[in-house]
Amino acid sequence: MEIYTCEDQFESMMTCVYEAWASKNGHSNVRLMLEPVLEPELFCRYHHVEGDPQIAQKVVRSVRRKISRKAYEMMYGAAMSFRPEKLDAIYRFLVLGFYVGASVTDLLGEACVNTVFQLDRKVKNEAHYFREFIRFSSVMDGRILWARIDPKCDILTLVAPHFCDRMPSEAWMIVDGVRGMAAVHPPDEEFYLTKISKDELSRMEVSRGKTDPYAGLWESFFHAVGIEQRRNVKCQRTMLPLWYRKNMTEFQ
Amino acid sequence: MEKKSPSFGKTLSLEEKLAILADAAKYDVACTSSGVSRRGEKGSLGNACAAGICHSFASDGRCISLLKILLSNECIYDCKYCLNRRSNDQPRATFTPEEICRLTVEFYRRNYIEGLFLSSGVVKNPTYTMEQMYQTLYLLRTKYRFRGYIHVKAIPQAAPEVIEMTGYLADRMSVNLELPTADGMQRLAPNKSHSHILKPMRQIQNGISEYRLSIGKDSRMERHQINSQLSGSIFSEVPDRISGESLKDLPGRRRKPAAFVPAGQSTQMIIGATQENDYQLLTTTQALYQKFDLKRVFFSAYVPLNEDPLLPDLGTAPPLLREHRLYQADWLLRFYGFHAEELLSPGRPNFNVLVDPKCDWALRHLELFPVEINRASYEELLRVPGIGVKSAMRIVRARHGSVLDFDGLKKIGVVLKRAKYFITCKGKMMYAIPIEEDFLTRQLTGEDSRSNWEIEHPQTYRQLSLFEDMNMEMPPTVEDVGKSVSGQL
Repeated sequence: MEIYTCEDQFESMMTCVYEAWASKNGHSNVRLMLEPVLEPELFCRYHHVEGDPQIAQKVVRSVRRKISRKAYEMMYGAAMSFRPEKLDAIYRFLVLGFYVGASVTDLLGEACVNTVFQLDRKVKNEAHYFREFIRFSSVMDGRILWARIDPKCDILTLVAPHFCDRMPSEAWMIVDGVRGMAAVHPPDEEFYLTKISKDELSRMEVSRGKTDPYAGLWESFFHAVGIEQRRNVKCQRTMLPLWYRKNMTEFQ
Repeated sequence: MEKKSPSFGKTLSLEEKLAILADAAKYDVACTSSGVSRRGEKGSLGNACAAGICHSFASDGRCISLLKILLSNECIYDCKYCLNRRSNDQPRATFTPEEICRLTVEFYRRNYIEGLFLSSGVVKNPTYTMEQMYQTLYLLRTKYRFRGYIHVKAIPQAAPEVIEMTGYLADRMSVNLELPTADGMQRLAPNKSHSHILKPMRQIQNGISEYRLSIGKDSRMERHQINSQLSGSIFSEVPDRISGESLKDLPGRRRKPAAFVPAGQSTQMIIGATQENDYQLLTTTQALYQKFDLKRVFFSAYVPLNEDPLLPDLGTAPPLLREHRLYQADWLLRFYGFHAEELLSPGRPNFNVLVDPKCDWALRHLELFPVEINRASYEELLRVPGIGVKSAMRIVRARHGSVLDFDGLKKIGVVLKRAKYFITCKGKMMYAIPIEEDFLTRQLTGEDSRSNWEIEHPQTYRQLSLFEDMNMEMPPTVEDVGKSVSGQL
């Protein structure tokens, strides 16, 4: 068995798919894995693949042209998942996709399509939750809106466009505390991604600590709006699971 | 009569006002931000998403999507069920339009809310109140350049001109029907009447259909795409449907007309305050969808707030399960092609408390089951208990590629808990189940009884703990600690 491994980055994953395919070992003789590989198996050869933006572009282009835009979106969503089996599932999904074309996204009975479908759904659901539950605080005398999230999946690129459309003329920033990445949006411009170190993150946390007058107002609104006679904490937890509440103003 | 309030003689802070006016507005149930899609714009703040976005969930499990507040809780009326009625001794407060705008915009920037829900008690007279609300919206849309969602109440008996002008600034408007029968209205809200409420409702409906025709759309609101695939849904038999296609290319049209209540209108009914039965409520709901083209009808389980011989006693628990059943039936009307008359009848005017309305219907129509998953039409699939809009869609999609069996159904996410009693795959049922009413009723009620109980008693249910409940907890003694270290029992 030939095993191709790469980092957990979209570009590297696409390059890895390309290399595994181009090796011509036959689809059933290759497997794709994410690094780090903790338990190497016997009778396998491991090949590390380095990400290459041009090759990744090529893969993305042919998926969009030869399969469909929807298949690309599904694959991209799945690639943002935190689960390690995603890479091999994407490879099998593409093998089938290049064979049957655009209808691959409907073949939910096939195991590989089903896995990709479920990973994608999980990621998109989480992204949607964060669209709802991200809380900005006004920092630096109200000049910048700053938010921190600690998501399970890498959803930063999925939520940022939503806020670009929503607040095009505001300066805002969303920091992914788990991956040390931030989406930064200057007023009236496109957003960009940048790395954030632990030190920078803790400094930002400190400057957020200064109280935002509207945070208090929001908390008093939040507590006033619940009806005591209908109190139902279980329902609240179903709709808004506890782990999402970590960075939410009203639950601090 | 002199009004007493704890804040008499001093001005309230913004926080105090917000607490009073949010508290007074919370019994209004409509908190949806759905129905309109609008992109953001440079220099402005906000957009709108057709599916709606919830931003938080309150301790009662209801979503918080909009900043739901009253402009004022002063009121000249004395409706018996209402917390803000004139004769109640309540702290009263009134927002200025500027205050509401600032709150809305600052909350919105922090992603706390999706927009504003503005209602009000009737101050001085209906037209004056409506004018104040109009001014707030006008400021918000122009000075603050706010493009987020706005839901505003139309005050019955306000001048039609003000209501119309407000409609051009709002996304959704609503007039609360509150009580479905004229008799109940007469007794509990002597200052209001059905004709006062239906008049603005009709006015808004006409405004909406005019606007829709002027942009080349159908005169009636869009419904979920499902309804176009169903032959006999409640929306397919409305008579006065006009297509706007022909008007699209009229000469002389230069500018896009201003949107009038693009997300449609809604209403709400209180349940449990008067003696109306579910059949009356559901047929009224259906009539409102058909005749007034409402986008949503909301139900609000009545929470007793005032003491009155005509109302339930103060300690009465709100009828949450009944409210739940009505919402289930409402979904069946809007997405599943059911009619009110199929679900209930004058002879059986109330919902079964044990099983949901769709199961209940299926149990009375066992001659139609079991349904073969690989051959049934979309419409038939939708009527199977346990199969919803999404599952039915996935089944139809997936069976193009392969023949579905029960494992395949599970894989694509169809929940078989209820459905297994009503379907076959490749001609076989999952287990050898007799299609017999008594047996199926027993099975289905057994599975649902716990969740039904939890809906009706949201706070009382918890795991019984012998040690906590019987005060049997004792602090560990020194010997216990010693034993636990040495591992001796």
